[in-house]
Amino acid sequence: MELFSYSLRKLATGVPLVIGVTLVSFLLMVYFGPDKTFELVGKNPTQEQIDEVRAQLGYDQPMVVRYAGYLREIVTFDFGSSDSTGEPISSILARTVPISLAVALPGFVLGNVLGVLLGLLAAFYRGAWPDKLIMGSAAIGMSISFLIVIIGFQILLSSSSGLNLFPVRGWSMDSFGEYVSYVTVPTLATVFVALGYNTRFYRSVIVEETTRDHVRTARAFGVPSLQLYCKLILKNCLIPIITRIMFSIPFVVISGSLLIESYFGIPGIGKITYDAIITGDQPILKAVVALTAIMLVLVQLLTDIMYRWVDPRVSLK
Amino acid sequence: MNTAAEVMEAEALSDAAAESLWTKGLYKFRRDRVGLWAFAVVLLYVGVALGVWLGFWATGWADLAGEKWEPVSSAHWFGTNIIGQDIFDRAIYSTKTSFEIGLVVAVLATALGGILGAIAGFFSGSWLDELILWLMGVLDSIPFLLFVAAIAYTLQGNPYSMHIAMVVTFWITAGRLVRGEVIKLKEMEYVDAAHALGVPEYTIIFRHILPNTSHILLVQATITFVAAIKSEVILSFLGLGVKDGMSWGLMIAESSQEVLAGFFNNFLSASVLLFGLVMAFNLFSDALQDALDPRTVSD
Repeated sequence: MELFSYSLRKLATGVPLVIGVTLVSFLLMVYFGPDKTFELVGKNPTQEQIDEVRAQLGYDQPMVVRYAGYLREIVTFDFGSSDSTGEPISSILARTVPISLAVALPGFVLGNVLGVLLGLLAAFYRGAWPDKLIMGSAAIGMSISFLIVIIGFQILLSSSSGLNLFPVRGWSMDSFGEYVSYVTVPTLATVFVALGYNTRFYRSVIVEETTRDHVRTARAFGVPSLQLYCKLILKNCLIPIITRIMFSIPFVVISGSLLIESYFGIPGIGKITYDAIITGDQPILKAVVALTAIMLVLVQLLTDIMYRWVDPRVSLK
Repeated sequence: MNTAAEVMEAEALSDAAAESLWTKGLYKFRRDRVGLWAFAVVLLYVGVALGVWLGFWATGWADLAGEKWEPVSSAHWFGTNIIGQDIFDRAIYSTKTSFEIGLVVAVLATALGGILGAIAGFFSGSWLDELILWLMGVLDSIPFLLFVAAIAYTLQGNPYSMHIAMVVTFWITAGRLVRGEVIKLKEMEYVDAAHALGVPEYTIIFRHILPNTSHILLVQATITFVAAIKSEVILSFLGLGVKDGMSWGLMIAESSQEVLAGFFNNFLSASVLLFGLVMAFNLFSDALQDALDPRTVSD
């Protein structure tokens, strides 16, 4: 019951965020955005045809009414249909989100798990050569642009100049073997890019924790190092780790990895969003922005509940 | 500080009359060998960019200087691209583009973050603070590429839409950090004293409190610089960034066709120059952060 009322209150405080995000993007993309009338009317339109299209797009109504229409779309979860293909947004999302998840999830999980492990290793050997090696590599990894990593891996693994092991681009999930062959290069690129940042972040969190008094006391009592790191330190690091992982989820799921998907031609939500940006397909963009904001609010709530779960001292007030 | 000479040097320094965070920071920074090397590399890039800006070199970046895909030679140091333009000139010219974007975004974003963060921190708990925090949350929640595209649409092809989008999103981190620091600083005695003397509130914020966060702003500016030039490459590649002129992102976009045909000069020269600048700036930024962190300086 406490949890339920807390959730309701938390969701209520999320409303201003959703309103802000949708209002800003509505103003930028739709209200001040490009006029789509003449892309939709035929050649040599009469004034009636122009008026009809403008009415259909809602251009004849005041801004407040049009924004209210957008909010209604969000509440009813009915975002209309794509401007360019006419396909309903809900079916586009149902088709593309699973693909994006399949593309992004292996890289996301591996990037964070390896990041925590390397962070632990660096913190354990703090100041010694393994720490310097790991942090040096992280600094190098952070300095290579995502784009260069993608193209580099493509040259090395999928082109005739390199090993030529995987398809250059494209997507298929018909069989597990095909899925693996298409997902490997994007995953490697994602992990490579995320690893530098993740390792640095997790190392600093873990090092901070090793300087605590209770850790020193445990060490003085002769608790073995492995047990010390896994049971005492890692457990206390869970809050920043959870925060970092949870807050990147909405961007992974909804915007997908726009760059990865458009580069490799993977038909996920990121590719759809990119195409919508290029063609100015506003219904899709409106849906993507609104869903990202809603997911962020939900993720915030979930994160707070998880804090309670890992640290009973946290109270839900 | 192990040797006697270093101890004496440190003592001599601590006797100096004007000992501040900055003199201590400079002293620490001068002892950081990696940081100094990184700074030297950054200065080298600055020199190259200034030379381009003043018209000393890379003036022929747009000329058709030779044949398609010429190899490395004394006339074309990095070869030529698919239509015969000199890759070395283009890569060097792009240094200027990167600095232009990095500097504009870093300066404006940290200034905006400093001002709004200081106001939010000083009036923490009031409606003004709530408003600024709400704005930060909202801007943080819009996917970055969508935001850039939206601003590009709104400004109808304005060449600075990318800069504006970056400033509007990148000030947030600086703003949050300054806000947190100002909340601490405003409880200090000198602020009470200023209040008691009747100094106007905005003078207290901008003349007395904000300068004490300048070490945060400086470090944040270097981080923003790196973020801006990295974003530029991706945005230009996606067709949302640089429109006129040349940049490393555009070179990489050009090269994505050439790479599959087995011609790597364009891709490699843009990547290596970009990597060098970002790496040097990252290391410089780390060294600066270590040198200016009050917790480690006071050791």
